[in-house]
Amino acid sequence: MNKNTEVIKGTLAKRYAKERRFRMLGMISVFLGLLFLVVLLLGILFKAAPAFTQHYLSIDMNYDADSLGVGTNPSIKELEGANYRGLIRNTLYAQFPEVTQRNDKRELAALISGSAEYQIRDALLANPALLNNNARVQVLLDDDVDTYLKNNTHSGRVNEQQISWINTLENSGAVERGFNRNLFTNGDSREPESAGLLGATMGSLYALTICLLVSFPIGVMAAIYLEEFAPKNRWVDLIEININNLAAVPSIVFGLLGLAVFLNFFGMPRSAPLVGGLVLALLTLPTIIIASRSAIKSVPPSIREAALGLGASKMQTVFQHVVPLAMPGILTGAIIGSARALGEAAPLLMIGMVAFIVDVPEGFTDASTVLPIQIFLWADSPERAFIAMTSAATIVLLVFLICMNGLAIWLRKRFEKQW
Amino acid sequence: MESKIDISDHISHRYNDELEDLRNQVMEMGGLVERQLQDGLKALQKSDMPLAEKVASADDEVNAKEIAIDKRCTQILVRRQPAASDLRLVLAIIKTINDLERVGDEAEKLGRYAIHLYEHNAKIGDFTEIKHLGKHVREMLSKTLDAFIRMDVQSAIATIQSDDEINEEFDSIMRQLTSKMMEDPSHIKETLRVLWAARALERIGDHAKNICEYVVYLVKGEDVRHTNLVALLEEHPELNDE
Amino acid sequence: MATENAEEKSNKVDIEQQLGETVGEQFTDEQKFALRNVDVYYGDNHAIQDISMDIAPNEVVAFIGPSGCGKSTFLRVLNRMNDTIDICRVSGDIRLDGEDIYDKKMDPVLLRARVGMVFQKPNPFPKSIYDNVAYGPKLHGLASSRAELDDIVRTSLKRAGLLKEVENRLDEPGTGLSGGQQQRLCIARTIAVSPEVILMDEPASALDPIATAIIEELIDELRENYTIAIVTHSMQQAARISQRTAYFHLGKLVEMGPTEKIFTNPDHTLTENYITGRFG
Ligand SMILES: Nc1ncnc2c1ncn2[C@@H]1O[C@H](COP(=O)(O)OP(=O)(O)OP(=O)(O)O)[C@@H](O)[C@H]1O
Ligand SMILES: [Mg+2]
Repeated sequence: MNKNTEVIKGTLAKRYAKERRFRMLGMISVFLGLLFLVVLLLGILFKAAPAFTQHYLSIDMNYDADSLGVGTNPSIKELEGANYRGLIRNTLYAQFPEVTQRNDKRELAALISGSAEYQIRDALLANPALLNNNARVQVLLDDDVDTYLKNNTHSGRVNEQQISWINTLENSGAVERGFNRNLFTNGDSREPESAGLLGATMGSLYALTICLLVSFPIGVMAAIYLEEFAPKNRWVDLIEININNLAAVPSIVFGLLGLAVFLNFFGMPRSAPLVGGLVLALLTLPTIIIASRSAIKSVPPSIREAALGLGASKMQTVFQHVVPLAMPGILTGAIIGSARALGEAAPLLMIGMVAFIVDVPEGFTDASTVLPIQIFLWADSPERAFIAMTSAATIVLLVFLICMNGLAIWLRKRFEKQW
Repeated sequence: MESKIDISDHISHRYNDELEDLRNQVMEMGGLVERQLQDGLKALQKSDMPLAEKVASADDEVNAKEIAIDKRCTQILVRRQPAASDLRLVLAIIKTINDLERVGDEAEKLGRYAIHLYEHNAKIGDFTEIKHLGKHVREMLSKTLDAFIRMDVQSAIATIQSDDEINEEFDSIMRQLTSKMMEDPSHIKETLRVLWAARALERIGDHAKNICEYVVYLVKGEDVRHTNLVALLEEHPELNDE
Repeated sequence: MATENAEEKSNKVDIEQQLGETVGEQFTDEQKFALRNVDVYYGDNHAIQDISMDIAPNEVVAFIGPSGCGKSTFLRVLNRMNDTIDICRVSGDIRLDGEDIYDKKMDPVLLRARVGMVFQKPNPFPKSIYDNVAYGPKLHGLASSRAELDDIVRTSLKRAGLLKEVENRLDEPGTGLSGGQQQRLCIARTIAVSPEVILMDEPASALDPIATAIIEELIDELRENYTIAIVTHSMQQAARISQRTAYFHLGKLVEMGPTEKIFTNPDHTLTENYITGRFG
């Protein structure tokens, strides 16, 4: 061993100690990060769990034409306008013959959801043969009752008498706990038990479609032009700097811009996914441009030289070689950008997408809301049941984001080529 | 600046050493051959029999040297793939040692003739012209080796030109000896030996001339063998210092 | 000694005095390329300084010189590849078959189809081996049918000495080949469009002796129909394949002449020093 070997040996222990310390620090920070994430996720999951189930009341009922106030052979129109509320209430009263006071009757009727009459109506409309026949129907219980049943605690929102009725019903096996379909099939509602996310989800999808349709082609084209064709001068530098700055502009500013330009100047409809998508497109454009440019830049110049050297024109070189090679990076950028847009609430508040909308939107111009805003709205609602619903909506949003990121990774893996 | 070909400034030190060593070996061989010639002449003139025996047998050493140098040249060709002046140096050396070996052979002959003449009681000392020729050839060989080691084109060309004088001298010796043989046919055998000795010396002159031509090739990159020197001299008038 | 100094001067061109004046025979009677007073700048870096030379039809010219002396730059002047570098400026008179290639009327796309290039580093497209070779012919519409294209691809691969190795995997990616195979693929790709002139930038630097021999044989064979300019760092290779050799030094053409002459008895001390491995 020569002298240097000895010296190096002396420093080795120190170096390894340093390395170990650094690794420890790294592991601690990763662990802390994961811990926070797990706590957050578990918290949300735990809170959201009740929102995924609901209590139903199953009772036998006769679609009595008299009670409904329709003739023996009613038209669809007649059936639609029939007195279902009376029918369902009477059915419920029949279960508790001892209740005679009007006050008590009202409290008894409050056990079932206000949407119960629509449920039995829809059942009849779907199958008119049920008229004057017996059927076992399943109707929603009121959210307060639902909350009471889920927690089994007194919250003051149901009184003693109601509790005893509920217990009676429960003992007779009429109360059932089932999956909360409404969460995924309904639009928003004032009543938590029938409020759902479909409206917001569709709103988000419409907005996202517009956003991608607008920002992807424009962003990619802008990136290609800036990277491959633009002359290098002060103007282009200025544009570059501005694009980078744009990516850092607070998103609410884009909302203000959308309000001023799309609503006030162009007179587009308020609360429409079309406008939301356009605003989100403005928001994602810088991200897509920056990501696409760096993807294009990372295509090795030797590929360009190879194509040009064979006599390909600039255009052919770019579109036959550079862009396909940059595609995974571009797609990743676009998806990450739109994932950000999907989670964005602030700019959409400015263009009225915060309105309370019950109907599920059926087009780009129907008024609607989006998932993050739905979360915001529910978080703001007083009903206790909405606490769990908020968390449930958050989970749905997170699942969406995870899917999009997964898609980004998959696309990259799929299209990635080595060179 | 001594000479335009400097073999000691390659980036590879080992290459420098190899070429230097090669050149030294050639010089050693040259020295060996020079001594052989000297001894041969001395043996011839002084009828020094032990010396003559030595000359006759020492040629093996020269031959061994030639083989050793040859091997080194091959190694350098294989490992270094020399170009330009280095290539010419190696090529010149390969050819030079060939000529040197032949000079050695001729010197060996001188030794053998000395023994033969002694056995027949003849003395070369009677032939002053041979003595003269021997001196000239020795000078020529030593100048040749000098020109080679210094890569001196001027001196090489002068030496090439001096070969003509040697040829003339040989011609006159031949005339003399011919008339002698006609006068005294009883000594034809001895006289013939003397003639052969002169012939050997003349051959050595030719070999020296060859080596000088290699020096010109090595330095100028032009082959002057079998062509007239005149053309070269016309092209490079500065070479002619006479 | 006065005489020896005189001899010295006439013998070898003196380094300081004569750098800039090309020595040797850089001009030819017949010209494929005729270059006069070519200068190339990268920004302020004067990378090629006043170089004039001819390249004769059907000859192989070797460009040699130390790293960074401008060989690649000069080669790229010949097919206007330098156009793609923003800071690069080229001036001088450069003619291919008498046409000024830097003239406005000259289409660089057409020029590059006529003057093909093999680059210093192998750069196959991340496509299949077949598509790599077929790209050029398809681009220029050189094949009228699939069978014809197949034929071009196979002969090109064969001439580049690669067909045997890849015959059964033409649809595998070209980037999956070894470095030497990639380089031969790039050569096949270049000859597939049958350019008039082929520029090669150290095509054999990553090849084994057999592959190198195949390429050198190809170059020899191509010489019958094409003109070839090749940059190489292997003196032996330059000596083996070229008819004339040009030695570059610090952006200048120091010496150009018949290859035998350059490698046995160059006129310039710099050339001599370079090819014999001496300190400059
Ligand atoms: N794209 C470029 N931008 C700026 N300067 C460049 C560029 N390409 C080459 N140069 C400069 O031009 C000079 C010549 O480079 P070039 O690539 O022609 O050298 P070369 O002789 O091919 O070297 P090598 O043998 O290492 O390939 C170098 O000084 C280099 O720094
Ligand atoms: Mg280069």
